[in-house]
Amino acid sequence: MKTHLALSLALASLWHRRKVLALVCLTLTLSVSLLLGIQYLRTEVKQSFTTTISGTDLIVGARSGQLNLLLYTVFHIGDATNNIRWSTYQALKNDSRLDWLIPISLGDSYRGYRVVATDENFLKHFRYGRDLPLALAEGIWFTGVFDVVLGAGVARDLGHQTGEKLVLSHGGGRTSFSNHEDTPFTVTGVLEPTGTPVDQAVYIGLAGMEAMHVGWESGVAIPGRTMTLEKAEGRDFVPEAITAAFVGIDRKILTFRLQREINQFAGEPLSAILPGVALSELWRLMGQFERALLGITGFVVITSLIGLIAVLLTLQAQRAHEIAVLRATGASPALIASLYIIECVSLALLACLLALMIGAAGISLASPWLLTSYGLQITLRPLTAPEWGLLASVPVAAALVSLIPALSTWRQSKTLGFGEAADQ
Amino acid sequence: MTSKTDSGSNSSPFPETAIEAHGLGFSWHPGQETLSFPDFTLNRGEHLFLHGPSGSGKSTLLSLLAGMLRPGNGTIRVLGTDLYQLGAGARDQFRADHMGVIFQQFNLVPYLTTLANVTLPCHLSALRRDNAELTVADEAAGLLRALAIPEDHWQRKVTKLSIGQQQRIAAARALIGAPGLILADEPTSALDTDNRDRFLELLLSLAHRHKTSVLFVSHDRSLASHFHHQLELRGSRG
Repeated sequence: MKTHLALSLALASLWHRRKVLALVCLTLTLSVSLLLGIQYLRTEVKQSFTTTISGTDLIVGARSGQLNLLLYTVFHIGDATNNIRWSTYQALKNDSRLDWLIPISLGDSYRGYRVVATDENFLKHFRYGRDLPLALAEGIWFTGVFDVVLGAGVARDLGHQTGEKLVLSHGGGRTSFSNHEDTPFTVTGVLEPTGTPVDQAVYIGLAGMEAMHVGWESGVAIPGRTMTLEKAEGRDFVPEAITAAFVGIDRKILTFRLQREINQFAGEPLSAILPGVALSELWRLMGQFERALLGITGFVVITSLIGLIAVLLTLQAQRAHEIAVLRATGASPALIASLYIIECVSLALLACLLALMIGAAGISLASPWLLTSYGLQITLRPLTAPEWGLLASVPVAAALVSLIPALSTWRQSKTLGFGEAADQ
Repeated sequence: MTSKTDSGSNSSPFPETAIEAHGLGFSWHPGQETLSFPDFTLNRGEHLFLHGPSGSGKSTLLSLLAGMLRPGNGTIRVLGTDLYQLGAGARDQFRADHMGVIFQQFNLVPYLTTLANVTLPCHLSALRRDNAELTVADEAAGLLRALAIPEDHWQRKVTKLSIGQQQRIAAARALIGAPGLILADEPTSALDTDNRDRFLELLLSLAHRHKTSVLFVSHDRSLASHFHHQLELRGSRG
């Protein structure tokens, strides 16, 4: 009964002071939205990041550190230390314990985007996110030597469509002076957006990579010796080496043994890495930053709670008469103190509720735009336990800070005489 | 509701005395001079007019009688209960159960409606709720009607009402649930003469109906004739 009275008094009091408190509540709502939003995106981005590549059990490349190998094969950052011989790749391919291999050959670029030479296994076996396969948004996967398939980001940024002819550049870099002008490639397809580095590359066949480098053995084109579309007809281009390979193993139990065997491969020094482990290690490196961001947002919430208390303390002066009335009518000091706690916690709960609504509305409105403009796949999902925990910490913190006005009122009203208003 | 703490103290439903004060003395700080009060007894249902110059301790006596300040010495029995034998929480509950209060001004909780202000004691005390004739809402309505508060004001915020209306609403709050004692601290000093006489008349006649004693503090000696007894405080110190 008294709890009921305290609740109805506190809510009536909040409603009475709604004009002042609305602003405080707005501040709190915005800061809670920020806190919740950052935590939500953090989880999403981490999820999206650690599943940049999935379904691939091993990545095999020349001997190097696992981060380096991961960075240049998956994220197209940095360069390969060395190549894998074609014969080695064939040997791996013939090993029946490896169920599929995706060859990757790097080195060239198209207007700043990496050119990835691979084969049809890339479309067939490459997975990202929660085991999502690649799909073509338009056209078909390359079949001819001089066919190219574009990542969604490349097609979107450069406005290319199927049927267009592209001239690839030798080496990396945005502006290159040595272009493979004699061997233009035709766009046969564009991939669906994935929100991964797959969007930021163009894909050609291993034969295409080989063909456009005929006559480039010295590093520049020797006139007359380069390939043309006509000369390439009917010829079989077999590469001497590839950069790396993605490996799929159906019997997962063999993964570690195969990793060890590849690392000890007699023919040449190789490295085999577990992509999941390497991705987690990479995320740990970057995790410091997002934790700092979350920490800063936590301080923003604390600042708005302090603002709330400042307003409540200011309002306390106006409440002296009302407290005198309640005391004289028989309300205990605890009941009066509880009004502050209830009011503060109610405001915090309201702010949390509003923040949830703002967050949900924001994500559902922004998610199509984020996907098309940035390739970020952010979907509306139920909150995780840590997110609920973070949200719940806001009313808990509000209850704690409300002890400041509550205790001072409690102390004052204990010694208050009949009809006396507490002096501020 | 925690009215158990005091239900025993009120074992005889109508104790004969509303107030018995013996050898009361109070000092704000230990060692300082003591304010002493005359002994007095007020029978149940009778009204007492309390007057005296400023600083004679009228407010202090009200605080002592309300159980909000602890006397240095002496005893106070209100409706047969020795107030200061009770703990602080039990005294708060005793006040909620058995006393109505009216101040000089700022009597009402500004964010509650007229009706909610009147029924406030019934939310703090199960006894007052049970004492209400029929339902709490009915009794509140009856009191507000008797005190001439127009019905369209009942659901309104009290801050818009005139001082006279606010004082009458405070009287309704003091009377609801038929408490044994009403403590009124200069409730008419902010009212003009017409309003003052009407207020006093209504308060006393309604109190009479509920067998409620009224202890009325005022500077205005002309009001004394309405009361059965009067007591002058001279502020004797020693």
